[in-house]
Amino acid sequence: MNRINPLYLALLLIVILLLAIFKLDNAKVELADAQESLIETTALATNLSGLKDVYGNQKKSKAAILKILKNSSLKQSNIMKKVKKSGIIISSKSMDLRALNSLLGKLFNGAYNIVALDVKKLSETKVSLHVEIKW
Amino acid sequence: MKFNNKFKTIFLDTSANKLDSEEENNASILAATQGSIKKEKVNIILSPSLYWVKKLSLPVKYVREVKKLLPSIFEDTLPEGHYSYYVYKSGDDFFAFAYEDKAILDVLSMQGIAASNVANVYFAQSEFQNLEKAVKVSDTQSIYVKDELVILVPSTWVQESDDLDLSDMKFSKHNITLQQFGHIVDNSSLYKIGAILVVLIVLIAIEYFITLSKAEQIAQQNSELFEKYKLKSTMMQNRSMLKKYSYIHEKQTKLREYISYMLSLKLKKDEKLSLLSLKNKTLIVEFTGVKKNQDAHITKILQSKNIKYKSSYKNDTLHVEITL
Repeated sequence: MNRINPLYLALLLIVILLLAIFKLDNAKVELADAQESLIETTALATNLSGLKDVYGNQKKSKAAILKILKNSSLKQSNIMKKVKKSGIIISSKSMDLRALNSLLGKLFNGAYNIVALDVKKLSETKVSLHVEIKW
Repeated sequence: MKFNNKFKTIFLDTSANKLDSEEENNASILAATQGSIKKEKVNIILSPSLYWVKKLSLPVKYVREVKKLLPSIFEDTLPEGHYSYYVYKSGDDFFAFAYEDKAILDVLSMQGIAASNVANVYFAQSEFQNLEKAVKVSDTQSIYVKDELVILVPSTWVQESDDLDLSDMKFSKHNITLQQFGHIVDNSSLYKIGAILVVLIVLIAIEYFITLSKAEQIAQQNSELFEKYKLKSTMMQNRSMLKKYSYIHEKQTKLREYISYMLSLKLKKDEKLSLLSLKNKTLIVEFTGVKKNQDAHITKILQSKNIKYKSSYKNDTLHVEITL
Protein backbone atom coordinates (compact mmCIF):
# COMPACT_ATOMS: atom_id res chain seq x y z
CA MET A 1 0.00 0.00 0.00
CA ASN A 2 3.06 2.22 0.21
CA ARG A 3 3.29 2.42 -3.56
CA ILE A 4 1.68 5.49 -5.13
CA ASN A 5 -1.70 4.61 -6.54
CA PRO A 6 -1.68 4.88 -10.37
CA LEU A 7 -5.05 6.61 -10.17
CA TYR A 8 -3.51 9.42 -8.13
CA LEU A 9 -0.76 9.69 -10.75
CA ALA A 10 -3.43 9.88 -13.46
CA LEU A 11 -5.22 12.63 -11.51
CA LEU A 12 -1.92 14.47 -11.08
CA LEU A 13 -1.31 14.18 -14.84
CA ILE A 14 -4.81 15.54 -15.52
CA VAL A 15 -4.09 18.51 -13.23
CA ILE A 16 -0.75 19.09 -15.01
CA LEU A 17 -2.54 18.80 -18.37
CA LEU A 18 -5.15 21.37 -17.32
CA LEU A 19 -2.40 23.70 -16.09
CA ALA A 20 -0.53 23.22 -19.36
CA ILE A 21 -3.69 23.98 -21.36
CA PHE A 22 -4.23 27.10 -19.23
CA LYS A 23 -0.64 28.26 -19.76
CA LEU A 24 -0.85 27.53 -23.49
CA ASP A 25 -4.09 29.48 -23.71
CA ASN A 26 -2.44 32.46 -21.99
CA ALA A 27 0.57 32.19 -24.28
CA LYS A 28 -1.72 32.16 -27.34
CA VAL A 29 -3.49 35.28 -26.08
CA GLU A 30 -0.06 36.89 -25.63
CA LEU A 31 0.92 35.85 -29.15
CA ALA A 32 -2.31 37.25 -30.61
CA ASP A 33 -1.72 40.52 -28.74
CA ALA A 34 1.87 40.66 -29.99
CA GLN A 35 0.71 40.01 -33.58
CA GLU A 36 -1.95 42.68 -33.31
CA SER A 37 0.57 45.09 -31.85
CA LEU A 38 3.03 44.34 -34.68
CA ILE A 39 0.37 44.98 -37.33
CA GLU A 40 -0.55 48.27 -35.66
CA THR A 41 3.07 49.32 -35.22
CA THR A 42 3.90 48.46 -38.84
CA ALA A 43 0.97 50.51 -40.17
CA LEU A 44 1.70 53.36 -37.80
CA ALA A 45 5.43 53.34 -38.51
CA THR A 46 4.89 53.34 -42.29
CA ASN A 47 2.31 56.13 -42.22
CA LEU A 48 4.12 58.21 -39.64
CA SER A 49 7.46 57.81 -41.35
CA GLY A 50 5.98 58.91 -44.71
CA LEU A 51 4.10 61.88 -43.29
CA LYS A 52 6.98 62.91 -41.05
CA ASP A 53 9.34 62.79 -44.00
CA VAL A 54 6.98 65.07 -45.94
CA TYR A 55 5.78 67.52 -43.30
CA GLY A 56 8.30 67.18 -40.50
CA ASN A 57 11.58 67.25 -42.39
CA GLN A 58 12.66 70.85 -41.85
CA LYS A 59 15.96 70.59 -43.75
CA LYS A 60 14.41 68.96 -46.79
CA SER A 61 11.46 71.40 -46.95
CA LYS A 62 13.68 74.43 -46.43
CA ALA A 63 16.18 73.36 -49.09
CA ALA A 64 13.42 72.57 -51.60
CA ILE A 65 11.65 75.94 -51.10
CA LEU A 66 14.87 77.93 -51.33
CA LYS A 67 15.68 76.05 -54.53
CA ILE A 68 12.26 77.00 -55.96
CA LEU A 69 12.79 80.64 -55.05
CA LYS A 70 16.13 80.64 -56.86
CA ASN A 71 14.37 79.76 -60.10
CA SER A 72 15.14 82.22 -62.89
CA SER A 73 11.46 82.78 -63.66
CA LEU A 74 11.02 84.40 -60.23
CA LYS A 75 14.01 86.70 -60.36
CA GLN A 76 12.00 89.66 -61.63
CA SER A 77 9.26 89.21 -59.04
CA ASN A 78 10.88 90.98 -56.10
CA ILE A 79 10.10 88.05 -53.85
CA MET A 80 10.92 88.54 -50.19
CA LYS A 81 11.60 85.57 -48.01
CA LYS A 82 11.76 85.40 -44.25
CA VAL A 83 13.08 82.15 -42.89
CA LYS A 84 12.09 81.39 -39.31
CA LYS A 85 12.77 78.43 -37.06
CA SER A 86 9.21 77.22 -37.50
CA GLY A 87 8.83 77.98 -41.21
CA ILE A 88 9.20 80.47 -44.02
CA ILE A 89 7.22 83.51 -45.22
CA ILE A 90 7.31 84.31 -48.93
CA SER A 91 5.89 87.60 -50.12
CA SER A 92 5.87 89.95 -53.04
CA LYS A 93 4.11 93.29 -53.23
CA SER A 94 3.81 93.00 -56.97
CA MET A 95 4.69 90.15 -59.21
CA ASP A 96 3.94 88.90 -62.66
CA LEU A 97 0.99 86.56 -63.07
CA ARG A 98 3.15 84.02 -64.92
CA ALA A 99 5.70 84.01 -62.11
CA LEU A 100 2.86 83.53 -59.63
CA ASN A 101 1.54 80.56 -61.61
CA SER A 102 5.00 79.08 -61.70
CA LEU A 103 5.59 79.58 -57.98
CA LEU A 104 2.18 78.40 -56.79
CA GLY A 105 2.35 75.43 -59.16
CA LYS A 106 5.61 74.32 -57.56
CA LEU A 107 4.37 74.97 -54.01
CA PHE A 108 1.04 73.20 -54.50
CA ASN A 109 2.66 70.24 -56.23
CA GLY A 110 5.10 69.85 -53.37
CA ALA A 111 4.06 68.58 -49.95
CA TYR A 112 4.42 71.77 -47.94
CA ASN A 113 2.36 72.73 -44.93
CA ILE A 114 0.86 75.98 -46.23
CA VAL A 115 -0.80 77.68 -43.26
CA ALA A 116 -1.52 81.09 -44.78
CA LEU A 117 -1.99 82.33 -48.34
CA ASP A 118 -3.01 85.67 -49.77
CA VAL A 119 -3.07 86.36 -53.50
CA LYS A 120 -4.62 89.64 -54.58
CA LYS A 121 -5.07 90.76 -58.10
CA LEU A 122 -3.55 94.21 -58.64
CA SER A 123 -4.04 94.51 -62.39
CA GLU A 124 -4.49 92.30 -65.41
CA THR A 125 -0.89 91.07 -65.15
CA LYS A 126 0.19 91.89 -61.63
CA VAL A 127 -0.64 90.30 -58.27
CA SER A 128 0.52 90.59 -54.67
CA LEU A 129 1.49 87.46 -52.79
CA HIS A 130 1.88 86.34 -49.18
CA VAL A 131 2.52 82.67 -48.35
CA GLU A 132 3.39 81.19 -44.97
CA ILE A 133 4.74 77.65 -44.83
CA LYS A 134 5.44 75.75 -41.59
CA TRP A 135 7.63 72.78 -41.03
CA MET B 1 12.25 -13.91 5.28
CA LYS B 2 12.29 -10.48 6.76
CA PHE B 3 11.70 -9.13 10.22
CA ASN B 4 9.06 -6.52 10.33
CA ASN B 5 8.34 -5.67 13.89
CA LYS B 6 7.95 -2.03 13.17
CA PHE B 7 4.21 -2.37 12.59
CA LYS B 8 1.52 -4.34 14.34
CA THR B 9 0.14 -7.32 12.48
CA ILE B 10 -3.46 -8.31 11.80
CA PHE B 11 -4.81 -11.59 10.48
CA LEU B 12 -7.64 -10.45 8.25
CA ASP B 13 -10.60 -12.74 7.75
CA THR B 14 -14.07 -12.23 6.34
CA SER B 15 -15.64 -13.57 9.54
CA ALA B 16 -13.94 -10.86 11.64
CA ASN B 17 -16.06 -8.30 13.48
CA LYS B 18 -15.50 -4.58 13.36
CA LEU B 19 -12.98 -3.33 15.88
CA ASP B 20 -13.71 -0.64 18.28
CA SER B 21 -11.69 0.68 21.14
CA GLU B 22 -13.31 -1.52 23.81
CA GLU B 23 -13.42 -4.70 21.81
CA GLU B 24 -9.96 -4.29 20.42
CA ASN B 25 -8.27 -6.77 22.76
CA ASN B 26 -11.02 -9.35 22.24
CA ALA B 27 -11.22 -9.00 18.50
CA SER B 28 -11.97 -12.20 16.71
CA ILE B 29 -9.44 -11.41 14.06
CA LEU B 30 -6.85 -12.41 16.60
CA ALA B 31 -4.72 -9.43 15.94
CA ALA B 32 -1.69 -9.13 18.04
CA THR B 33 -2.48 -5.58 18.67
CA GLN B 34 -2.56 -3.39 21.68
CA GLY B 35 -3.85 0.15 21.60
CA SER B 36 -5.60 1.71 18.67
CA ILE B 37 -4.90 -0.08 15.42
CA LYS B 38 -7.17 2.23 13.52
CA LYS B 39 -4.64 5.01 13.52
CA GLU B 40 -1.41 3.05 13.34
CA LYS B 41 0.26 1.44 10.37
CA VAL B 42 -0.37 -2.28 10.31
CA ASN B 43 0.76 -5.34 8.40
CA ILE B 44 -2.04 -7.50 7.10
CA ILE B 45 -2.01 -11.27 6.67
CA LEU B 46 -4.86 -12.35 4.43
CA SER B 47 -6.91 -15.32 5.52
CA PRO B 48 -7.34 -18.06 2.89
CA SER B 49 -10.96 -16.96 2.68
CA LEU B 50 -9.79 -13.75 0.96
CA TYR B 51 -7.86 -15.32 -1.89
CA TRP B 52 -7.66 -18.30 -4.21
CA VAL B 53 -4.41 -20.20 -4.40
CA LYS B 54 -3.09 -22.85 -6.77
CA LYS B 55 0.07 -24.84 -6.48
CA LEU B 56 1.40 -25.35 -9.99
CA SER B 57 4.10 -27.37 -11.63
CA LEU B 58 4.74 -25.68 -14.92
CA PRO B 59 7.36 -26.21 -17.60
CA VAL B 60 8.62 -22.65 -17.22
CA LYS B 61 11.54 -21.29 -15.33
CA TYR B 62 10.68 -17.77 -14.39
CA VAL B 63 7.88 -16.12 -12.42
CA ARG B 64 7.44 -13.46 -15.12
CA GLU B 65 6.49 -16.17 -17.59
CA VAL B 66 3.81 -17.48 -15.25
CA LYS B 67 2.42 -13.99 -14.56
CA LYS B 68 1.15 -13.76 -18.12
CA LEU B 69 -0.71 -17.02 -17.72
CA LEU B 70 -2.40 -16.26 -14.38
CA PRO B 71 -5.79 -15.00 -15.66
CA SER B 72 -6.20 -18.09 -17.82
CA ILE B 73 -5.04 -20.39 -15.01
CA PHE B 74 -7.85 -19.10 -12.76
CA GLU B 75 -10.35 -18.56 -15.56
CA ASP B 76 -12.53 -21.55 -14.76
CA THR B 77 -12.17 -21.34 -10.99
CA LEU B 78 -13.14 -17.79 -10.11
CA PRO B 79 -16.61 -16.34 -9.79
CA GLU B 80 -17.25 -13.19 -11.75
CA GLY B 81 -15.32 -10.18 -10.43
CA HIS B 82 -12.24 -7.96 -10.87
CA TYR B 83 -9.23 -9.95 -9.79
CA SER B 84 -5.59 -9.19 -9.25
CA TYR B 85 -2.98 -11.91 -9.46
CA TYR B 86 0.27 -12.78 -7.76
CA VAL B 87 2.71 -15.64 -8.09
CA TYR B 88 5.91 -16.76 -6.45
CA LYS B 89 8.15 -19.73 -6.84
CA SER B 90 8.86 -22.16 -4.03
CA GLY B 91 11.20 -24.97 -4.94
CA ASP B 92 10.10 -26.32 -8.30
CA ASP B 93 6.50 -25.26 -7.78
CA PHE B 94 4.73 -22.00 -8.34
CA PHE B 95 2.12 -20.68 -5.93
CA ALA B 96 -0.41 -18.59 -7.86
CA PHE B 97 -2.91 -16.32 -6.16
CA ALA B 98 -6.04 -14.51 -7.25
CA TYR B 99 -7.72 -11.97 -5.04
CA GLU B 100 -10.27 -9.20 -5.23
CA ASP B 101 -8.76 -5.90 -4.11
CA LYS B 102 -12.17 -4.41 -3.43
CA ALA B 103 -13.29 -7.36 -1.32
CA ILE B 104 -10.17 -7.08 0.84
CA LEU B 105 -10.50 -3.30 1.09
CA ASP B 106 -14.15 -3.74 2.10
CA VAL B 107 -13.14 -6.10 4.91
CA LEU B 108 -10.44 -3.66 6.00
CA SER B 109 -13.01 -0.90 5.96
CA MET B 110 -15.35 -3.04 8.07
CA GLN B 111 -12.52 -3.43 10.57
CA GLY B 112 -12.16 0.35 10.66
CA ILE B 113 -8.69 0.23 9.11
CA ALA B 114 -7.95 2.89 6.53
CA ALA B 115 -6.18 1.71 3.39
CA SER B 116 -3.58 4.39 3.95
CA ASN B 117 -2.68 2.75 7.29
CA VAL B 118 -1.88 -0.59 5.70
CA ALA B 119 1.88 -1.07 5.48
CA ASN B 120 2.15 -4.47 3.79
CA VAL B 121 -0.27 -7.18 2.78
CA TYR B 122 0.76 -10.86 2.88
CA PHE B 123 -0.97 -14.13 2.10
CA ALA B 124 -1.45 -16.66 4.91
CA GLN B 125 -0.07 -19.15 2.38
CA SER B 126 3.34 -17.48 2.23
CA GLU B 127 3.53 -16.65 5.93
CA PHE B 128 2.21 -19.90 7.49
CA GLN B 129 3.38 -22.52 5.00
CA ASN B 130 5.63 -24.07 7.63
CA LEU B 131 2.96 -24.56 10.28
CA GLU B 132 3.37 -27.87 12.01
CA LYS B 133 -0.10 -28.06 13.45
CA ALA B 134 -3.43 -26.27 13.27
CA VAL B 135 -3.70 -22.72 14.54
CA LYS B 136 -6.93 -21.15 15.73
CA VAL B 137 -7.57 -17.90 13.91
CA SER B 138 -11.04 -17.22 15.33
CA ASP B 139 -13.56 -18.71 17.70
CA THR B 140 -14.82 -20.97 14.98
CA GLN B 141 -12.02 -21.30 12.47
CA SER B 142 -8.51 -22.61 12.27
CA ILE B 143 -5.82 -22.89 9.64
CA TYR B 144 -3.51 -25.73 8.90
CA VAL B 145 -1.25 -26.91 6.12
CA LYS B 146 -2.28 -29.69 3.83
CA ASP B 147 -0.25 -30.65 0.76
CA GLU B 148 1.79 -27.46 1.22
CA LEU B 149 -1.37 -25.35 1.02
CA VAL B 150 -2.62 -23.31 3.98
CA ILE B 151 -6.33 -23.93 4.31
CA LEU B 152 -9.06 -22.56 6.53
CA VAL B 153 -11.29 -25.05 8.30
CA PRO B 154 -13.88 -24.99 11.10
CA SER B 155 -12.17 -25.40 14.45
CA THR B 156 -14.38 -28.37 15.18
CA TRP B 157 -12.58 -30.29 12.45
CA VAL B 158 -9.25 -30.09 14.19
CA GLN B 159 -8.61 -31.91 17.40
CA GLU B 160 -5.75 -29.88 18.68
CA SER B 161 -4.80 -26.29 17.83
CA ASP B 162 -2.60 -23.50 19.10
CA ASP B 163 -3.61 -19.88 19.40
CA LEU B 164 -2.38 -17.57 16.72
CA ASP B 165 0.62 -15.53 17.83
CA LEU B 166 1.48 -12.66 15.49
CA SER B 167 3.74 -10.79 17.90
CA ASP B 168 6.96 -12.25 16.58
CA MET B 169 6.25 -12.70 12.88
CA LYS B 170 9.01 -13.13 10.36
CA PHE B 171 7.54 -12.05 7.04
CA SER B 172 8.37 -13.38 3.64
CA LYS B 173 9.11 -11.06 0.75
CA HIS B 174 5.80 -11.99 -0.90
CA ASN B 175 3.62 -9.00 -0.24
CA ILE B 176 1.07 -7.38 -2.51
CA THR B 177 -0.23 -3.89 -3.12
CA LEU B 178 -3.98 -3.46 -3.06
CA GLN B 179 -5.49 -1.47 -5.92
CA GLN B 180 -8.07 0.83 -4.38
CA PHE B 181 -9.83 1.53 -7.67
CA GLY B 182 -8.86 -1.62 -9.49
CA HIS B 183 -12.53 -2.60 -9.81
CA ILE B 184 -13.26 0.67 -11.64
CA VAL B 185 -10.29 0.82 -13.96
CA ASP B 186 -7.46 -1.65 -14.24
CA ASN B 187 -3.83 -0.66 -14.07
CA SER B 188 -3.04 -1.34 -17.70
CA SER B 189 -5.85 1.00 -18.74
CA LEU B 190 -4.56 3.56 -16.27
CA TYR B 191 -1.07 3.28 -17.70
CA LYS B 192 -2.48 3.72 -21.22
CA ILE B 193 -4.47 6.77 -20.10
CA GLY B 194 -1.35 8.02 -18.27
CA ALA B 195 0.74 7.56 -21.39
CA ILE B 196 -1.83 9.47 -23.46
CA LEU B 197 -1.90 12.24 -20.85
CA VAL B 198 1.89 12.43 -20.81
CA VAL B 199 1.96 12.63 -24.63
CA LEU B 200 -0.70 15.37 -24.52
CA ILE B 201 1.25 17.28 -21.85
CA VAL B 202 4.45 16.99 -23.89
CA LEU B 203 2.64 18.17 -27.07
CA ILE B 204 1.05 21.08 -25.23
CA ALA B 205 4.38 21.95 -23.61
CA ILE B 206 6.04 21.93 -27.06
CA GLU B 207 3.28 24.13 -28.47
CA TYR B 208 3.58 26.40 -25.42
CA PHE B 209 7.30 26.92 -25.98
CA ILE B 210 6.80 27.39 -29.74
CA THR B 211 4.08 29.98 -29.00
CA LEU B 212 6.32 31.76 -26.50
CA SER B 213 9.16 31.73 -29.01
CA LYS B 214 6.88 33.18 -31.73
CA ALA B 215 5.66 35.89 -29.33
CA GLU B 216 9.29 36.72 -28.53
CA GLN B 217 10.19 36.91 -32.23
CA ILE B 218 7.26 39.23 -32.87
CA ALA B 219 8.25 41.41 -29.90
CA GLN B 220 11.76 41.54 -31.39
CA GLN B 221 10.36 42.56 -34.79
CA ASN B 222 8.33 45.23 -33.03
CA SER B 223 11.47 46.60 -31.35
CA GLU B 224 13.30 46.57 -34.69
CA LEU B 225 10.46 48.61 -36.22
CA PHE B 226 10.83 51.19 -33.44
CA GLU B 227 14.54 51.43 -34.17
CA LYS B 228 14.22 51.44 -37.96
CA TYR B 229 11.60 54.19 -38.09
CA LYS B 230 13.00 56.05 -35.07
CA LEU B 231 9.66 55.93 -33.32
CA LYS B 232 9.05 57.45 -29.90
CA SER B 233 9.28 55.07 -26.97
CA THR B 234 5.54 54.80 -26.34
CA MET B 235 2.75 54.03 -28.76
CA MET B 236 0.72 56.86 -27.24
CA GLN B 237 3.35 59.42 -28.35
CA ASN B 238 3.53 57.85 -31.80
CA ARG B 239 -0.24 57.77 -32.20
CA SER B 240 -0.37 61.42 -31.17
CA MET B 241 2.29 62.34 -33.77
CA LEU B 242 0.51 60.36 -36.46
CA LYS B 243 -2.73 62.14 -35.60
CA LYS B 244 -0.99 65.52 -35.89
CA TYR B 245 0.61 64.77 -39.27
CA SER B 246 -2.54 63.09 -40.61
CA TYR B 247 -4.49 66.23 -39.73
CA ILE B 248 -1.94 68.42 -41.57
CA HIS B 249 -2.04 66.08 -44.56
CA GLU B 250 -5.81 66.10 -44.67
CA LYS B 251 -6.00 69.92 -44.54
CA GLN B 252 -3.27 70.36 -47.16
CA THR B 253 -4.95 67.87 -49.50
CA LYS B 254 -8.26 69.71 -49.13
CA LEU B 255 -6.58 73.09 -49.71
CA ARG B 256 -5.03 71.92 -52.99
CA GLU B 257 -8.24 70.17 -54.04
CA TYR B 258 -10.44 73.25 -53.42
CA ILE B 259 -7.99 75.65 -55.07
CA SER B 260 -7.89 73.32 -58.05
CA TYR B 261 -11.70 73.51 -58.32
CA MET B 262 -11.58 77.31 -58.12
CA LEU B 263 -8.86 77.61 -60.76
CA SER B 264 -10.63 75.23 -63.12
CA LEU B 265 -13.88 77.22 -63.11
CA LYS B 266 -15.05 78.43 -66.51
CA LEU B 267 -15.74 82.10 -65.79
CA LYS B 268 -17.91 84.28 -67.95
CA LYS B 269 -16.59 87.25 -69.85
CA ASP B 270 -15.69 90.11 -67.44
CA GLU B 271 -15.62 87.72 -64.48
CA LYS B 272 -12.21 87.58 -62.77
CA LEU B 273 -10.70 85.75 -59.82
CA SER B 274 -9.50 88.69 -57.72
CA LEU B 275 -8.59 87.16 -54.36
CA LEU B 276 -7.34 83.81 -53.14
CA SER B 277 -6.70 83.71 -49.43
CA LEU B 278 -6.16 81.18 -46.65
CA LYS B 279 -6.64 82.38 -43.11
CA ASN B 280 -7.37 80.32 -40.01
CA LYS B 281 -8.09 77.20 -42.07
CA THR B 282 -10.63 79.03 -44.17
CA LEU B 283 -10.18 79.44 -47.89
CA ILE B 284 -11.56 82.74 -49.19
CA VAL B 285 -12.09 83.28 -52.90
CA GLU B 286 -13.47 86.42 -54.50
CA PHE B 287 -14.74 86.81 -58.05
CA THR B 288 -15.32 90.29 -59.53
CA GLY B 289 -17.63 91.13 -62.43
CA VAL B 290 -20.23 88.61 -61.33
CA LYS B 291 -23.75 89.73 -62.04
CA LYS B 292 -26.27 89.43 -59.22
CA ASN B 293 -28.01 86.09 -59.04
CA GLN B 294 -25.85 84.78 -61.84
CA ASP B 295 -23.27 82.93 -59.79
CA ALA B 296 -24.73 79.46 -60.30
CA HIS B 297 -21.90 78.35 -62.60
CA ILE B 298 -19.47 79.05 -59.72
CA THR B 299 -21.43 77.65 -56.77
CA LYS B 300 -22.68 74.66 -58.77
CA ILE B 301 -19.28 73.02 -58.80
CA LEU B 302 -18.96 73.42 -55.01
CA GLN B 303 -22.38 71.88 -54.53
CA SER B 304 -21.61 69.01 -56.89
CA LYS B 305 -18.46 68.20 -54.86
CA ASN B 306 -20.40 68.41 -51.57
CA ILE B 307 -18.18 71.23 -50.33
CA LYS B 308 -19.63 73.26 -47.49
CA TYR B 309 -19.29 76.94 -48.25
CA LYS B 310 -20.68 80.36 -47.45
CA SER B 311 -21.17 82.98 -50.13
CA SER B 312 -22.10 86.64 -50.18
CA TYR B 313 -22.50 89.14 -52.95
CA LYS B 314 -21.53 92.83 -52.84
CA ASN B 315 -20.70 95.38 -55.59
CA ASP B 316 -20.42 92.82 -58.42
CA THR B 317 -18.14 90.72 -56.23
CA LEU B 318 -18.94 87.20 -55.16
CA HIS B 319 -17.27 86.32 -51.85
CA VAL B 320 -16.93 82.56 -51.17
CA GLU B 321 -15.66 81.07 -47.90
CA ILE B 322 -14.79 77.37 -47.59
CA THR B 323 -13.75 75.87 -44.28
CA LEU B 324 -11.04 73.25 -44.70
